[in-house]
Amino acid sequence: MASLTPAPPLGGYDMTFGELRLRECSELALVSLALPLGDEAAAKKAIKSSLKLDLPAPGMSAVNDTHRLIRMGPDQAMLIFADDAALAEPAVQTALKGACYTTNQTDAWVALSLAGPGVRDVLERLCPLDLHDATFPVDAAARTVMEHMGAMIVREEQDGFVLLSASSSAGSFLHAVETSIGYVT
Amino acid sequence: MIINHPLLGPRDAAEFVYLGDASLMDRPDGMTASDEEMHDYMYLRDNPAGEHRELWYHEQGDRSWLVVTRNTLTHEITMVELARDVARSRGRSK
Repeated sequence: MASLTPAPPLGGYDMTFGELRLRECSELALVSLALPLGDEAAAKKAIKSSLKLDLPAPGMSAVNDTHRLIRMGPDQAMLIFADDAALAEPAVQTALKGACYTTNQTDAWVALSLAGPGVRDVLERLCPLDLHDATFPVDAAARTVMEHMGAMIVREEQDGFVLLSASSSAGSFLHAVETSIGYVT
Repeated sequence: MIINHPLLGPRDAAEFVYLGDASLMDRPDGMTASDEEMHDYMYLRDNPAGEHRELWYHEQGDRSWLVVTRNTLTHEITMVELARDVARSRGRSK
């Protein structure tokens, strides 16, 4: 039987451009949570007790030492953490005791971390959202479109963002980000 | 065009998909409605020159359905509501 080795969509890409660092976060596991209609309160309670995180308002994320929980909309959230991808979703489902519908999303996404001074100059050429501190503070998160590709953006720190897009078009997404970096460095 | 999403704030119209007249939410019960009622629901729309309530889907966002009140002459958007809130305000469960 053939033995297959899992490989990240961009092969563990890691480059610096001046003071900017663009890196593929291949260690991340993604699990989406859907809140059952009518049982939202129980779901929030389960998230609080098992993950030690309060479900944030839509457009924001909550973070602890290991997990980041992004509220994508009224009924949906995305949990991001470093884990063995194959085991991530059952572990979350068990921890939540079935209070949310969970789906393993890990292999569907590519995650790029972009950090360094002037990171917003790069993103303003790529991302249609207003990323100013007043409207997109640290821990803000959103789904949007970048270069015609669906994408998620999370502000991890003042000068650090994580961009997520479909793993099937990871190369095109990387090209878009690299091109944007090229305009400012 | 910018649509001011009630939860997420102003978003570019490129993130949304347009469906049509918000009256599509009021589908008659297919088991009891007459042929004429179903026909009118399926095919008859107002085409106002002015204020129009319409359904937009935030496909590249939180995937919510919105009821947007837009002036078809000026494209001015005067109100944006979550379609679920509109439906619930009319006594629907979802």
